[in-house]
Amino acid sequence: MTAPLKMLGKTLGAGFALLALAACGGEDSASVSSEQESKVLPGGGTVKEMVEMRHEAMEDIGDSFKTISDQLKSGSPDLDAMKSSAALIAEHAPNVGDWFPAETSPALGVDTDALATIWERPEDFAAIAAKFETAAGELNAAAQTGDVEAIGAAFKATGGQCKACHDDFREDD
Amino acid sequence: MTETAAGAQADGSAAGALVWDWSVRLFHWTTVALIPMLWLSAENGAMDWHRRFGLTLMGLLIFRLYWGVAGMSTARFQNFVKGPKAITAYIARMKRPYTPAAGHNPLGALSVIALLAALTAQITAGLFAVDVDGIESGPLSSLISFKQGRAAAEFHEFFFNVLLALIVLHIAAVAYYFIALKTNLVRTMVTGRRKGAVTANAGPFPLTRFLIGAALAVAAVTLVQL
Repeated sequence: MTAPLKMLGKTLGAGFALLALAACGGEDSASVSSEQESKVLPGGGTVKEMVEMRHEAMEDIGDSFKTISDQLKSGSPDLDAMKSSAALIAEHAPNVGDWFPAETSPALGVDTDALATIWERPEDFAAIAAKFETAAGELNAAAQTGDVEAIGAAFKATGGQCKACHDDFREDD
Repeated sequence: MTETAAGAQADGSAAGALVWDWSVRLFHWTTVALIPMLWLSAENGAMDWHRRFGLTLMGLLIFRLYWGVAGMSTARFQNFVKGPKAITAYIARMKRPYTPAAGHNPLGALSVIALLAALTAQITAGLFAVDVDGIESGPLSSLISFKQGRAAAEFHEFFFNVLLALIVLHIAAVAYYFIALKTNLVRTMVTGRRKGAVTANAGPFPLTRFLIGAALAVAAVTLVQL
């Protein structure tokens, strides 16, 4: 990609980030949910901290996923970038199921894009989280071999698990 | 018409004078076809098609913006974008018997600018958008982070409503001209001609300038996919 385009991308990216900040700021009014959000979880930390932690961890996964996607699309994929990204996803994957304690449900007034269906259908949620863990492990294994074709296939499979879970258990946005 | 340009003449022929050249009409109706296709493909998650349609629209839009500077007379921004004085004067003339403008009237010009600007914003955001799973993305999203790409996608989704509102307003205005002012703007956008119109679109179609614009559009669409 040429330099001016890259600069345009950076500038626009910053603009979009600002827009997102503005949008988040608008919603950030003192709400009824603050009482629930300041509750301390059995495992330590408040509800709000848990929601923020999982949001950031999900963004890390998204970031890593995008890195792999970008590399797969590029003519000369950066294997090291794919390896470290796949490793990060695999590191997070086994914990995903633990990021959703019942206290963090939107049904209790918590500000989250997680859907209450997570706690209404806990077996389904646990099953899909387990599938994601398996897929992420396979993606990481493929990445470490450096076989781009295998990475591509595993990437698709893992992405399918992301999407399947988001379709059922995440607010559509 | 007060905005008659030099060299313009009333056309007394049966078909009428050329108000919109074929490239302007092609841009208009292709956009009309593409917007519902873009919406449908996005709603159904057919993102390969969404990207194809979007890039096609981007090429068309780039051509139209270029044509606004280098195109035939009625397509050029400097010939139809007017100040508030001309707009209020025009509004005062909006009654029967109504004589349509040769090209865009000063009020309609606002609609043209708003629609072209909205399309530009929407397409730009789409180029950088990333979906929540990090799988689907616009062709330029590799230049920015996941978070920024998500913000672009959220803007892209929200801004479609703005675009839709402008389109509804545009259609309502066209309906008003048809019903209240007995003026059929749709037919003119199809045939390009209006009986009795005074037009400055004189002379042959500038094919060389058209080819330059088309090449520009193709080059831009190719470049973003590199």
